[in-house]
Amino acid sequence: MNPLLPFLMSGDPSLEALPGLLAETKALGLEAIELGLPHSDPIADGPVLQAAAHRAIQKGATPLRVLEALAGLTDSPDIVLFTYLNPLLQIGAARLKRLLAPTPVKALLVVDLPFGEEAAFEADLRSAGYPMVPLLAPTTTLARARRILADRPEPGTEAPFAQRFAYVVARLGVTGAGQGTDLEPVAQRLRDLQGLSGRPFAVGFGLSDFQSLEAIRAMGATPVIGSALVQELVEGRSLHQALSGRFVADA
Amino acid sequence: MTEGFTLPTRFGAQSLGGCYAPETLMQPLLDLEAAFLAATIEPSFLAELKGELRHFVGRPTPLTSAPRLAAKVGLKALFLKREDLTHTGAHKINNALAQAILARRMGKAEIIAETGAGQHGVATASACARLGLACTVYMGVTDMARQAPNVARMRLFGAKVVPVAAGQGTLKEAVNEALRAWAGRCDRAHYILGSALGPHPFPTLVRSFQTVIGEEARAQVLEQADALPEVVIACAGGGSNGLGLLLPFLGDGLRRVAVEAGGHGAALGEHAARLDGGRVGVLHGCKTLLLQDECGHTAETASISAGLDYPALGPELAALILDGKVEVRRASDDEALSGARMLCETEGILPALESSHALALLAALAAEGAATVLLGLSGRGDKDLSTYQSRLGI
Repeated sequence: MNPLLPFLMSGDPSLEALPGLLAETKALGLEAIELGLPHSDPIADGPVLQAAAHRAIQKGATPLRVLEALAGLTDSPDIVLFTYLNPLLQIGAARLKRLLAPTPVKALLVVDLPFGEEAAFEADLRSAGYPMVPLLAPTTTLARARRILADRPEPGTEAPFAQRFAYVVARLGVTGAGQGTDLEPVAQRLRDLQGLSGRPFAVGFGLSDFQSLEAIRAMGATPVIGSALVQELVEGRSLHQALSGRFVADA
Repeated sequence: MTEGFTLPTRFGAQSLGGCYAPETLMQPLLDLEAAFLAATIEPSFLAELKGELRHFVGRPTPLTSAPRLAAKVGLKALFLKREDLTHTGAHKINNALAQAILARRMGKAEIIAETGAGQHGVATASACARLGLACTVYMGVTDMARQAPNVARMRLFGAKVVPVAAGQGTLKEAVNEALRAWAGRCDRAHYILGSALGPHPFPTLVRSFQTVIGEEARAQVLEQADALPEVVIACAGGGSNGLGLLLPFLGDGLRRVAVEAGGHGAALGEHAARLDGGRVGVLHGCKTLLLQDECGHTAETASISAGLDYPALGPELAALILDGKVEVRRASDDEALSGARMLCETEGILPALESSHALALLAALAAEGAATVLLGLSGRGDKDLSTYQSRLGI
């Protein structure tokens, strides 16, 4: 099982630093990473990731420059591109596919794209090898969850984790650590979802300390660490320092 | 199309609108549509809303003939639909009150709202005080400074006003923050969006609570003038006032005009005219005409009027414009100020800066051959006194 899914904001601290951060993540033995595409209006993000996106935009990390910086990288975990819809729509499906082709991006997590709103766009990307990660929130009923998982199926059990997993939002609200997420409802929710589907689940929002991450792993899911990681990097910790104490590699 | 909704979620040939919301908000939005549909056929809801609009808001608002202003700009007749005379001083109360009643029916004890000029915030705070609901309003810091009287009014009504410092500190950032807050409290709070924008069902909900403006105005002008005007005109920020006035005239053979903020220049960032330089994109849950840069980031905007600087046009109004059913014009900051002064001097009415953008177009309409015009006076100008004082040197 994938022990941790880290999140980094591309362009923060700089686009030049990105290849090194990805290589370091891979060297730690992590199979996949969520990489944020900075957006001007990140409505699902808390203060830490808002600030990171703002810094990245100030430094010129436009969507095109981020994708160019990823082109040709091989020393990288599989990338799940975490983004809002509008930049992708403005690039357009045809050009986006060309830009993604030489990158390690394996899937897209588009926060504000419910299934069906851009059906042709989504189908086009999916058939090119870029499926959308299904999102399941605490407000998602089990009936709706079943439909979401069917609408955005895994490409197959042999596909990489990045293309198979569904993202379970642990609590109401926006991204951000340190708000004491109650894990009991998460455990119940995961049991229900694991009963619906055999695909891997990642759990994020409000997780940061080792105990919470371990608890998610004990539920048979992969914890996501985002805001806490981004904040620690801002405060000067290295990626290795920030990540290594948070999981034990399988191998 | 999104699964699960009953009402149409899209508008016009370009399928604007939709529901581009984070998953956390999808069930609350589905629940909201269901509650709205149930309420609109529920006699007790309709009776309460009608009674409150009459006795609390002061509807119907008058349609005032403005002969001296008409003569000054070269029109034969001019009628003003007086939303400035509603309780709290702008059309925003029509929607805020209706949604607050709806929220109470849904069992929500808490209301979240965003505000730009502060009129929607004041209206929501007032409705919440009347209905006994807790109210939190998110407002950009720039807007809090330029619309300070409205901040004080909200606080007097017991609302918590949360300053939003991000970005330009205006309506767009306030909506961002209100959406985030709602995602955190959607189990107990209802979000009263103030304009005809956002994810479905908000554009439809807000429009349906605002068309009372145009329905009244149409009946009143027929009664007073025995004929429809040649032009109906309203300012448009997100579009709740524009749609509210113009939509009931959609079947009539007349010109329907929406006026955008021309700001102080033609370059991106110097205005909020979405028809000039706006492209179809997605912001705050809907697809619509949006001022944005080449990478899909929302552009900065500028307007003297806090109620007209939103970077996107509500999807239904944008669709009507793109489909040729509504014309779009723009008025600059300076033209709006002149329009306001003219109404003050000729008719003794102090308009909001937003409404003044429509007033600024009257002379142009007359020059184009129009003789009779009905104008939506969306709000009163008390909140803008400090801007009028500094910019008009009075």
